[in-house]
Amino acid sequence: MNWEPLLLTFKLALFTTVILIVIGVPIAYWLSNTKSRIKPVLETLVSMPLVLPPTVLGFYFLMVFSPNNTFGNWLDEWLDVKLVFSFSGLVIASVIYSLPFMIHPIQSGLSGISRSITEASFVMGKSKWETLLKVQLPQIKPALLTGIVLSFAHTVGEFGVVLMIGGNIPGKTKVASIAIYDEVEALNYDAANFYSFVLFAITFCILLAVYLVNGNHFKHFWK
Amino acid sequence: MIKLDINKELQAATGTMTLRLNLNIESGQLITLYGPSGVGKTSTLRMISGLMQPDSGQICVEDETWFDAENKINWSPQKRKVGYVFQDYALFPHMTVLENLNFAKAKNQTNSSISDLIEIMELGQLQNRKPESLSGGQKQRVALARALVQKPKILLLDEPLAALDSAIRHKLQGFLKTVHQEFQLTTILISHDVGEIVKLADHVYQLEEGKILKQGTPETIFIEQNLSGKFKFTGEVLKIQQEEIIGIVTVRIHTDVVKVVVQHEEASKLAIGDQVLVVSKAFTPLLYKIEVSI
Amino acid sequence: MNRLNGNISRIEVSGNLTLAHVEVTPQLVLKAIVIDTPKTAAYLKVGQEVVLVFKETEVIIGTNSQTKISLQNQIPASINKIERGQLLSKLNLRTITGELNAIVSTNAVKTLCLKTGDAVVAMVKLNEVMLQAL
Repeated sequence: MNWEPLLLTFKLALFTTVILIVIGVPIAYWLSNTKSRIKPVLETLVSMPLVLPPTVLGFYFLMVFSPNNTFGNWLDEWLDVKLVFSFSGLVIASVIYSLPFMIHPIQSGLSGISRSITEASFVMGKSKWETLLKVQLPQIKPALLTGIVLSFAHTVGEFGVVLMIGGNIPGKTKVASIAIYDEVEALNYDAANFYSFVLFAITFCILLAVYLVNGNHFKHFWK
Repeated sequence: MIKLDINKELQAATGTMTLRLNLNIESGQLITLYGPSGVGKTSTLRMISGLMQPDSGQICVEDETWFDAENKINWSPQKRKVGYVFQDYALFPHMTVLENLNFAKAKNQTNSSISDLIEIMELGQLQNRKPESLSGGQKQRVALARALVQKPKILLLDEPLAALDSAIRHKLQGFLKTVHQEFQLTTILISHDVGEIVKLADHVYQLEEGKILKQGTPETIFIEQNLSGKFKFTGEVLKIQQEEIIGIVTVRIHTDVVKVVVQHEEASKLAIGDQVLVVSKAFTPLLYKIEVSI
Repeated sequence: MNRLNGNISRIEVSGNLTLAHVEVTPQLVLKAIVIDTPKTAAYLKVGQEVVLVFKETEVIIGTNSQTKISLQNQIPASINKIERGQLLSKLNLRTITGELNAIVSTNAVKTLCLKTGDAVVAMVKLNEVMLQAL
């Protein structure tokens, strides 16, 4: 059996999740604190991947990153970065596609912390950064876990975006979901079943673990 | 000396309200802000602590200017380092009592002040408990101790005892008085409890609609009937019994319970829980020396 | 409580005590003793408007002017209404300066044969009268 698509899938999910933690926490923090007028616009943008067909996102990524267009061309010429049909392109697309799954739980968790608790930390002379790290984040561990697992699982399960921007290059962009499609097309039902079963089993275990750990917490974000 | 001269437009339930305060608070005093909800008491504490920015005015503490709208000075809450006890205690739920106190330390502070506070506030037994397992009175003691870890000059208390039953409230009023004196604090207390204010405060500001309605000693504010009687206590009505011709009102004064005879009409104006002034001429009571038998 | 308005007409001070003469009407001057002096209580000055406050239960009732008695605060009154209880009775009195109430024993009401319309004298000891500055 060829494990490559599966390994690629989990590598992609891991990279995506790590990047999402790094950018998701600050964005969620900003959204939960800001009174800015553009907040609704940003919230909408973050939530768009929830409702938009993955192919739409994939199509626009393809357009933007294609070396035939200005931005893709600039990336290619100045930074020597090719995002179309490459693993880094997949990661970027996945990050954007899973953004709401990381940001919503964290934003909701941060908003749920009583204002006086963070203010108590401020009047003790603690900076916003120290307060976030030592007071706010430790209190929203269930929400963080939810965000991490949902982002990971969602990336494992994506198909449309990957197909549009990554194509089907073995070892580079051919993740498990694509491989399954491929094998079915080629009538290799055994191979398709293998990939499918592994994906099914692993995602089942991950989600089950989260339900067990978080209790009801998880349900709020699974829409 | 805290000099406060602030203006702030606030969104109240009834619409927009302008908070306009000009206070000079002597160092070492315990002052009370008194008045109905939504008159700007909590906002005043928030502006002193830097959690809210006044629209205009100045806040000066000793010789430091913490806020000056004209000169664009606005110290952050982190820099002001006041002691602040929030209405909901605001204990960090994921930390134990001791961790809550330790977190409040300044960067280079030693542990000695914390062990002192644990002793003063009688927290020894509770050190390793999480806030969720504490009673209201215990939480309040932790919150008070935590606010004092950095030895602030100013202690702000937002209705700290409102949610507690009266026996615990009395005990905590004692703690408040002790720490106020021991740490030489300038304390600003928001309270609705007249008995508490009379017991603790040096000076009362009664607020209404964002303005100072009255100010003075608790006696002059609350004992507005400037009666000459010297036998004078504030208490809480516990029971009202209507007898023939007269009514008997049972009043708790601190920890003692007394009975006072009143007219029916007077009794009907009272309700259980009301704060009352019990007053009599000094000529009336008898004194018995309490003989201590060995 | 009974409340009568008046003006301080004279002040006698001795040590920490002050005896205030309060003119309720030109004909009626009542006295009150307080543990204060003009130095400790600003309201203790001639001309100050005050309220005399005393309890209904401290009022003593006599049927005619009492001269051989230590009580000097004597207020002529007529009985407006009597409310009888088993042990205590409440007398509502009409005086030249307004209404007063007195709570006395029902037995005393019987012994003195008090009834509505009777002329009586209401008395109160000067150490039972509180002053409230206006």
